[in-house]
Amino acid sequence: MSRAPRVQRICERLIRAACRRLAEDMRAERCREWAAELPAILDDQSIRPGLRRAVRALTYSAGIAWSTRQLSRAGGGARPVRTSQWRNGAMRVRPSDVAVRVTVGVAIWLLLIFLLISLGSAFPRLPGWLLMLGLGLAAGFDALCLADIARAGQVRYLPKWAWALICLAQTPLGGIIYLSIGWVGRARPVPPGSGPPGSAQRT
Amino acid sequence: MKLTGPLERVLRVLLADPSAPHYGYDLMKAAKLPSGTLYPMLARLQQEGLVDSEWGPQRQDAGGRPPRKYYRLTAEGARVARLELAQAPVPARRAGYGTAQPAPGGMQ
Repeated sequence: MSRAPRVQRICERLIRAACRRLAEDMRAERCREWAAELPAILDDQSIRPGLRRAVRALTYSAGIAWSTRQLSRAGGGARPVRTSQWRNGAMRVRPSDVAVRVTVGVAIWLLLIFLLISLGSAFPRLPGWLLMLGLGLAAGFDALCLADIARAGQVRYLPKWAWALICLAQTPLGGIIYLSIGWVGRARPVPPGSGPPGSAQRT
Repeated sequence: MKLTGPLERVLRVLLADPSAPHYGYDLMKAAKLPSGTLYPMLARLQQEGLVDSEWGPQRQDAGGRPPRKYYRLTAEGARVARLELAQAPVPARRAGYGTAQPAPGGMQ
């Protein structure tokens, strides 16, 4: 039974993180309410074995995260929906955004490698049309990334020319890295006062 | 109020014993709903004044466990719930949840 307290701690942490989405006046009470259900789940003797209780506690906590999202959307949220903040051209970077984008980028990259390997085993001798198709796709992707860099209002972390070089030098990977890390989004005129504080002055 | 399947289940469970305290986890189990469905629904019902919540007593026997919050239909909530459930189509499609009526012809 040494498992239960650890699971409980993990779940409590998840719930606390989820509650951060809520408005301040309800946050503490909600957090207490939801954490108080955990012992009841983990001691529910009608569910056996203990591993199933642990899984249930974890899914319960995930459901709480879902609930706080719904509740904050319905009103009383702690902050506006995330995408609108950096779509406005704000250079403020949240670590979680970068983590998500890097993860997606790496996933796409792995998928590409997997595709290449499976293609290689399917065609031991690479037919010419496939080679042309691959080169065409690579060139198209490069052109897409370069065009995006050229038209972007701003990019993150590096100057534009550096991103362009990276995209050209490491053909698929450079572009993926740019899209997952350096890409900010289409530059669009931000009406004064609508962006997050500090973004308007930075033009 | 639109009576959806999950809402109907929650109301049935709450209405089965309107004066008893219903804790979140017990509601989840009785209505067979995940927490991500139940809590937003309870919050909505509470906002509409159909359900209210209160902190349960601190139990001494439970080894210093934190008090839990329980939910209960208000008088208005019980009235509305009865009305809605009376208008709802007979739950022939999915019998056997919420209230303790066994499925007709079900194996015992």
